[in-house]
Amino acid sequence: MILKKEALVLLLAGGVGSRLNILVQSRAKPAVPFAGHYRIIDFSLSNVMNSGLTKVGVLTQYKPLSLMRHLGMGEAWDFTGRSRGVKILPPHTGFKDSDWYRGTADAVRQNIDFLEKNPSDEVVLLSGDHIYNMDFHAMLEYHRFKKADVTVGMMVVPMSEIYQFGAGIIDEQNRIIDWEEKPEHPRTNLASMGIYVFDYKYLLDSLYRDREEVDFGMHILPRAIDNDDVFAYPFYGYWRDVGTIQSYWEANMDVIRRDSDISPAEWGIRTNIEADGRSADRPSARFGSEARVSNSMISAGCIIKGTVENSVLAPGVVVAEGAVVRDSILFADCHVEKNSVVDLTICDKRVRIAGDAVVGSGSNHDIPNIKEPKHLYTGISLIGKEAVIPSGLSIGRNCIVNSQTEEAAFSSKEIGDGETV
Amino acid sequence: MLKPSTLAMILAGSRVDKLNVLTYYRPKSAIPFGGFARVIDFPLSNLLHSGIEQVAILSQYRSYSLINHIGTGAAWDMIGRNRGVSILPPFKDNSDSKDHADWYRGSADAVYKNLDFVKYHDPEEILILSGDHIYKMDYRDMIAYHHKKDADLTIAFVQVDKARAHRFGVAVIDYEDGETGGRITDYREKPEQPETDWASLTVLVFKPEVLYQALEENQQSASFEFGRDIIPELMAAGKKIYGYKYRGYWGYTGTVSEYWQANMDLLGENPSIDMEAWGLRTNMEHRGIRDAQPALVFDGAEIENSLVYNGCVIEGRVKNSILFPGVEVGPGAVVENSVLFFNNRVGADCRLDKVITDVNCVFGKDVCVGSGTGSEAGQVTVVGWNNHIPDSTVIGEGATVYPNITVEQWSEAKGVGVGEVLK
Repeated sequence: MILKKEALVLLLAGGVGSRLNILVQSRAKPAVPFAGHYRIIDFSLSNVMNSGLTKVGVLTQYKPLSLMRHLGMGEAWDFTGRSRGVKILPPHTGFKDSDWYRGTADAVRQNIDFLEKNPSDEVVLLSGDHIYNMDFHAMLEYHRFKKADVTVGMMVVPMSEIYQFGAGIIDEQNRIIDWEEKPEHPRTNLASMGIYVFDYKYLLDSLYRDREEVDFGMHILPRAIDNDDVFAYPFYGYWRDVGTIQSYWEANMDVIRRDSDISPAEWGIRTNIEADGRSADRPSARFGSEARVSNSMISAGCIIKGTVENSVLAPGVVVAEGAVVRDSILFADCHVEKNSVVDLTICDKRVRIAGDAVVGSGSNHDIPNIKEPKHLYTGISLIGKEAVIPSGLSIGRNCIVNSQTEEAAFSSKEIGDGETV
Repeated sequence: MLKPSTLAMILAGSRVDKLNVLTYYRPKSAIPFGGFARVIDFPLSNLLHSGIEQVAILSQYRSYSLINHIGTGAAWDMIGRNRGVSILPPFKDNSDSKDHADWYRGSADAVYKNLDFVKYHDPEEILILSGDHIYKMDYRDMIAYHHKKDADLTIAFVQVDKARAHRFGVAVIDYEDGETGGRITDYREKPEQPETDWASLTVLVFKPEVLYQALEENQQSASFEFGRDIIPELMAAGKKIYGYKYRGYWGYTGTVSEYWQANMDLLGENPSIDMEAWGLRTNMEHRGIRDAQPALVFDGAEIENSLVYNGCVIEGRVKNSILFPGVEVGPGAVVENSVLFFNNRVGADCRLDKVITDVNCVFGKDVCVGSGTGSEAGQVTVVGWNNHIPDSTVIGEGATVYPNITVEQWSEAKGVGVGEVLK
């Protein structure tokens, strides 16, 4: 049997995602939990798996431990086998290429030996930061049909948001004829999704050409558009860059909407649920006799004795009698004790909210966080990993409690809107 | 010491007629239990937590479901240099001996036919377990007691309601070691008039030579069961047989109503079966349960005193029930006192009361199953797998529906009366 040379996948998972604030304090953005037991990178990895691609390199840089533990050997995405595999590609020092990745193209260039050891006809270049469902096989077919050097996954976004993206001007054949990276005065609403198919040889040539071309969007693509065959592959469907607290919260809420466009189950999204090394498997979620749950996602291992509304609960969350969780996202093993209220809040793993506390109180949703006004300004409060909120405490809107904050760190019974602990 | 000293053998071959349609396509040990797991996960998790790393599973009846479930044994950490789980199905060999030409004729015969496997492992003690009981036990304590007494055979016993004792092996245990156990002075298998309320859990620790000899001698007889034959024969031979007193929860699921009751023991404020505390593990690959997305609970849903696993979508009312992965409960539907296996779909305005439904059943709209009284008394209604129940069908309390009933059969039957059987 002759094995078909299939496309090689490179997944850029080094993103800091600093606007996600304390959620990326101990992990890279692709490793941020999403929709109960998933992580953001599961969407890209599952799309790769469901597209029938089985050779993947994951480029990491920023706080990769959580990500590496999550990937494991790649069994969860069926990447184990003779000709299959997922390889972690961390930054490394060499004779000349010391130092950290300076940009997306630089990251790939520093792993050019991986590319050379895995010859293929095409390379699919992805980011591990997005929530979407896409068939890369169809995109590859399109790339071959167009005989393109580079094909860029693109979609229409509101004109007001285009400033965050690479923007492409196309002709009637979908050939990209002009490119603007993060334009202040956009001429188009067609945005790059950061998904590229490169002709293998073309990519190698581009990387060898000039070491100062460190970014695909800023350097490699504009030059390719000027000189070679670059096409846009139009994408229609759900796609979110969950790069801000607000967009992250909205995408989670999209999962629990009844008429939602996003469904991990229907999209065939897989995750690695064994990464946390417990001695028992998570048992079924347990609902007590006074539980009231509506419009929510509840993961295995949860114990619900209080009220949960419009919320997304990761595995092992406990909501005690009389407690209320509303419009919130709780990561694994958070405990909300008796008669506490959690409203419009994101709690990282293992947060404990002692009894009779209120997290997210009052209606001053528009008083932004004083230290991070660009991160928190819509009313959402953030509680960091393993923080303990003492009994009887009240926390306002747009607040941040840093990870591992202990009870003793709270000097008063009230944390005002926009404050940080 | 690197070599494991204990060899565990799980008796997982049997079918048990009283469980009826639930064991048509799987042995009793592979019956789903606990909302996401299977009955055999309980002894397997006990072995894991007892540090017993060599395990054989004797399997005969419809073993596919069981083999699929055990997989490599990785779910229970049973892969590694000195760790392993072997499935031992019946086999033919070259000898003309009639003994080997047959299926396993009983639990003792199953072990006898695999004596070469047992001897190859050269164990210091052989632990024989039943694959279909629900309990949490650290076998190391019992094995330590077995060695302390230098016993030929040690058997675990649990106190049961004396009215039920006649269904089990019943022993008289002396007070040699008080609450821990003592010498067995009398043993009867399923006695009509039990002398005590100490029932055998079918957890046996044998001195290997004693077991080998007993199994050889048993081949001359016409019956090949540990409880009925081996233990009484060893008692008669005056061997040193001790009883080890177990005091925790023991779920025996020999009938549909016992199986239903054991499920109800998973519910309540302080459930008798605490899977998290017991460290229960299952094979998350089986039926793809690891891939199920967290449960979605929509507006209009009410869930009370119930277990709901990932993959469920709830729009109706669920009370005192256990829903396995992939169960959907439509708007207006009410599910009470019921156990719904994997991937059942309950349509709008259905009413299920004290029902056990096997995997892949679809209930159309406005179907009524069970008494509909919401009371926990009364008979359990059982629906076999792969049934598509038409809209507005009525299935009475205590009825039994066989697996794979055809569309023609449903339209002919129109419904199933109280206590009736549709097959």
